[in-house]
This record gives sequence, structure tokens and C-alpha cells, in this order.
Amino acid sequence: MAEPILKLESITRTFSDGRFVQRVLRDVNLAFFTGELTIIAGPSGSGKTTLLSIMGLILQPTEGRVSLRGRDVTDVAEEEAATLRLHNFGFVFQTPTEIPALPVIENVLVAHGVQGAKIPAALRARAGELLEQFGLADYAHSLPRALSTGQKQRLAIVRALLNDPGLLLCDEPTSALDAENSEVVLETLRSLAHEESRGVVLVTHDPRVMPYGDRVVELEHGTVTADSREGKPS
Amino acid sequence: MRSVIAYRMLWYDRVATAGSILGVVAILFLVGQQLSTMFGLFTFMSVLVDHSGADMWVVSKETKNANAVGPLPERYVDRLIGLAEVEWAEPIIMTAGQTRRPDGKYEGVMIVGLPAPRLQGGPWAFTQGSLADLLDYEGVTVDSGDLDLFGNPQVGDILEINRMRVRVAGITHKAQGFGGTLVFTNRTRARDIADLPADTCSYILVKLRPGADPRAALARMREVVPRADVIPTGRLSATTRAFYIINTGIGGSFGTTTLISSLVGIVIVMLTMYTSVLSREKDFAVLRALGGRKRDLFVIVLYQGLMIAAAGIFVGFFLFALFLYGTRDTALPTYVPPWFPFVHAAFTLVLCLAGSFVAIRRATRVEPATAFR
Ligand SMILES: Nc1ncnc2c1ncn2[C@@H]1O[C@H](COP(=O)(O)OP(=O)(O)OP(=O)(O)O)[C@@H](O)[C@H]1O
Ligand SMILES: [Mg+2]
Repeated sequence: MAEPILKLESITRTFSDGRFVQRVLRDVNLAFFTGELTIIAGPSGSGKTTLLSIMGLILQPTEGRVSLRGRDVTDVAEEEAATLRLHNFGFVFQTPTEIPALPVIENVLVAHGVQGAKIPAALRARAGELLEQFGLADYAHSLPRALSTGQKQRLAIVRALLNDPGLLLCDEPTSALDAENSEVVLETLRSLAHEESRGVVLVTHDPRVMPYGDRVVELEHGTVTADSREGKPS
Repeated sequence: MRSVIAYRMLWYDRVATAGSILGVVAILFLVGQQLSTMFGLFTFMSVLVDHSGADMWVVSKETKNANAVGPLPERYVDRLIGLAEVEWAEPIIMTAGQTRRPDGKYEGVMIVGLPAPRLQGGPWAFTQGSLADLLDYEGVTVDSGDLDLFGNPQVGDILEINRMRVRVAGITHKAQGFGGTLVFTNRTRARDIADLPADTCSYILVKLRPGADPRAALARMREVVPRADVIPTGRLSATTRAFYIINTGIGGSFGTTTLISSLVGIVIVMLTMYTSVLSREKDFAVLRALGGRKRDLFVIVLYQGLMIAAAGIFVGFFLFALFLYGTRDTALPTYVPPWFPFVHAAFTLVLCLAGSFVAIRRATRVEPATAFR
């Protein structure tokens, strides 16, 4: 059995406002593999974004272990977690994450330069190509306020792809896209998984997205209720 | 790329940025204005000392202020000249007097009598006439900045000081005193005006021979005039200024305004930078989520502080230069020592960075998880 790129063991996450403790995830066990596009589906409030944040080392679990490429990273220091995020993950999240002050191209390049690294010319060229591929080339030097919601979503995808991440974590990446654009995005994500052997995890409500998944995980009230991979040999 | 991010954010929130820059400008300009005015007053306080051309001053015991000296026996001059280290020693008379303007109003003046033929310790810049004109028995100088006190006399006009007749022989430039309006004349006329006994003077200027060891000379001189104080010129200048700063409250008053200007500036910088970071918290969370470490956010906001400081210092110095230019020939004295701009820029930079500290702290505490909520 191939080693998973990311493994969650007995993940529990609670939030507390001082009086009530809310258990958002309970005993979640999941492993994610390269070359596979996993869809996580579940009703609103079921804990999908929380789960994705824990997978991306943005949030720490209350209990349980997270391993990245076989290494236990649950308790790594904050600074190291940041560097692991930078080199291993691409994020596309539900809420807008473009930085209004940066022109579109810099919004993409920031995924490489945020720790102060110089931007090599080749990477700049790659950012340009990605923007082209997602129909944003004309906006490269505009501020993000010139973009529509769907265009901003595509910008987020371009940024997530810039560093060739091993694992792409996408929260409703197609929610603001029309059928045509969403197809482009989904095809891209699928080819990343299949042809470039990356792990892709996609959270969605959208039934049109389901057919693209190699595997569907269902989450309800913070618990995995179904996983199409279970029992299958890998 | 962090400097680019820092700059873009500042430019995007330019109104807030302008506010922060204003805080820096306030520190630089207001403090600069206060201190240059104070330095200007300093030069007035010690103007006679600074322009005396002497290495040492011999003054009455316990002198703390060059403008208030007791009488000295003039025979000390001979003892001092007798020393191998001394090139010359000149007894000067300084005395308070009153002049009567043509309209009958009296004004206090400070008369400085210089011994012929050297006329050492006297005025150093003239708009009309020259030092030699003081050799004329009745000749005095008045300063171009004090002319109205004398009823705007011309060269050659007759004035009255302590009921003595004097004649304006020259007009000096920037020879204004702090203790009183300076009037230079020759020693003979000064003695008449002051009605001093023939064997006393107010202080003795001493010039050392080239190559003489100042420490040894000082010790020898103290030996020969044990009942007087011998003070190096630079030290007397400093103690004179210190005397006024402490005894007139000038130090306290300038100190307070400097402190308040600095505080106002630092608070403006602090509040504007903090609110900017607060309103951009989400962006900082996104940077964190993308892989930015706390130290990267630290660096970004620090760069912002530096950029704001640089802009503020630049604009502040521009306004400060205009202020200095505008006041260069007025009665309000300003003076900027050559070291001052550098120290002041460094001081302003430090205050600005101190002001940005709260913003930096806020930015580094942003939780990456909040980026996606
Ligand atoms: N930081 C937090 N503090 C308090 N409660 C939180 C926090 N983050 C998430 N929650 C709670 O956890 C629950 C799950 O939230 P989450 O965003 O993970 O749901 P979701 O499945 O992504 O929903 P949706 O489909 O609407 O995006 C919600 O009830 C939410 O209120
Ligand atoms: Mg969600």
C-alpha cells in the first residue's frame, strides 16, 4: 500500500467561546494519496472548512495526529508549520483571499515571496502563463478590485498552483464560476492529480462536481459517514 | 518581495499612510524648530566667548556666566604676559549702561571696551565700518539688529550713553548679546562711561603661543593669578550656556515643548499605523496562511515603519529648511550645529519605529486560520 501524502488520525477539534464547547470534528481518520482527486461533501456547518484548515496546518487539532509524507507534524512550531505550508500546500478557500493592495500578478507571486525570497524570472513567466491559462492575463497588472467574483476565484487557483504543491486543498473552488469556467478548473485539478501525481482535495456541495472525484468522503456533524475508498485496495 | 508588499499596502491605504507621515513630520519639524531656536539662543548667550579669539579667559573667582564677571586687577596682565606660553593677554572692560534715544526713552546696553591697538575680543562682522573705527576716541558700534533701540542712527550720528557722548563708528552684523544689547568701544571710552578706577578690568583674554601645551599653560597661569579663575574658552562657553539654561528656565521650557512635540508625533504614528494594520488584518492572515512566518509580518510592518519614517523625515527636513531660510535674518535667532540634522534624523527614526511597535505586535499576532472564515 502506497504511503499517503497526508494522514489524519483520530482528529477532534473543539471551539469554545468560554461558556459552550462545540465539538466540530470528532474522531476523523482519513488518508490522502497522490494521483487522487478526493471530494469532501457535507452539509453546511458539518466541519469541512475546519477539516481542510487542519489538513493545511493552518489550524491545530484539539486531539489526534497529522502526518505529512510520513512525518508527524501535529506539534511542529508555528514557524515551521508556516514553511511547511509554503512548500507543500496550495490553498483555494471559500472566502476571498486576494490581497487588495497587490496587483494580480503580485497576488500570485506572493505565494513564493512571502518569506522574503527573490522571484526568479522563470517563476514570473510561469505566473504569467497560469494567468493566461485561466483567462486573467489582461488583468495581470490591475488591482484585484477590477476582477469579478469568479475571476477572483480563478486568481486564487492560479496562486495555489504557482509553487507546484504536493497537495491542493480547495474549498468550493467553483462556487462562483459558470459551467464553462468550472469545467476548466475541474479539468485542471483532475489532470494535476492524474498526470502530475499530486493530491487534490476538493470540498463541494455542487452535484456537477461529483463525477470528477476519484473518491468521495461524506462528512456530517464532524464525523465521516461515508468514504468511497474504504475497502478498496490502493 | 516583503518590501514590495509593505510599500503596496502603504500606497493602497494612502490616507492612513499620510496620517502616519504627518506624525513623523510633526516630530521632525516641531522638535527641529524648538531646538534650533534654543541653539540660536545659546549662541547669543556665549557670543562674546565664542568670538573672543582667545584660548583662555581670566575671570573673577567662581564665575559661571561670562556675562556677569567681577572686577580684576589689571596688573594680572603683566604677570600673564611674563609666562613663556602666553602670546598675548588683553584686559577687557565690560559694563552695563543706559542709552537715551532721541525720543527720550532709555534702553539698557552692555558696553565692551577693547584695548588698543589690537582691539581683541570685539565685533567680528560689520555691515558698515570696521574694527579700526573704534580707535576713534568717541567711536562705538551698534548692531544692525538693534538699530531701532537707538532710534535708527546712521554712521557718524551722536548717541548718549550714561550721559557720555559717543559716535556711531560702525554697524556690526549678528553681534547681539543675551544679557543686553552689545555696544563695542575702545577701552578708554568704556572706562569713562563705566567710571571705573584705572587699575581694574572685567576679564583678561589670553592667547597661547602656537605649540604651547594648554594643560601646562593653564596650571602656570593659575599659579600666577591665584585670586582669579582661568577658564578655557570652550568650557566657559558651555558653563555660560548651562547657567542660562538652568537659571532662566529656558531649558525646562524648550525641554517640555520638545517632549510634547515628540509625544504627539509618536502617538499619531502609533494610532494611524495600528488602525491600518487592524483594518488589514485579513490580508496579514492570508499572508500567514500562505506560508508567511511571524517574522515575515514583523519585517513587512517594520519596512512600513521605515518607509513612513523616511518619507516623514524627508518632508520634515524640507519644511525645517524653509523655516530656517525664512528666519535667517530676523530677530528670532536660529542656529543648527552641523551634527544636529544627523542626530535629529536618527532620533526621529527611533521614535517612529517605537510608534510602529504596537502595529508590528498586532500584525504578528494575527491567526492564519482567520483568513478562511
Ligand atoms: N474559529 C471558530 N470559532 C468558533 N466556532 C467555529 C470556528 N470555526 C468554525 N466554527 C464552527 O464550526 C462549525 C463548522 O464550521 P465549518 O466552517 O468547518 O463548516 P463547513 O462545513 O465548512 O460549512 P459551510 O459548508 O457552510 O462552509 C460551525 O458551526 C462553526 O460555527
Ligand atoms: Mg466551509
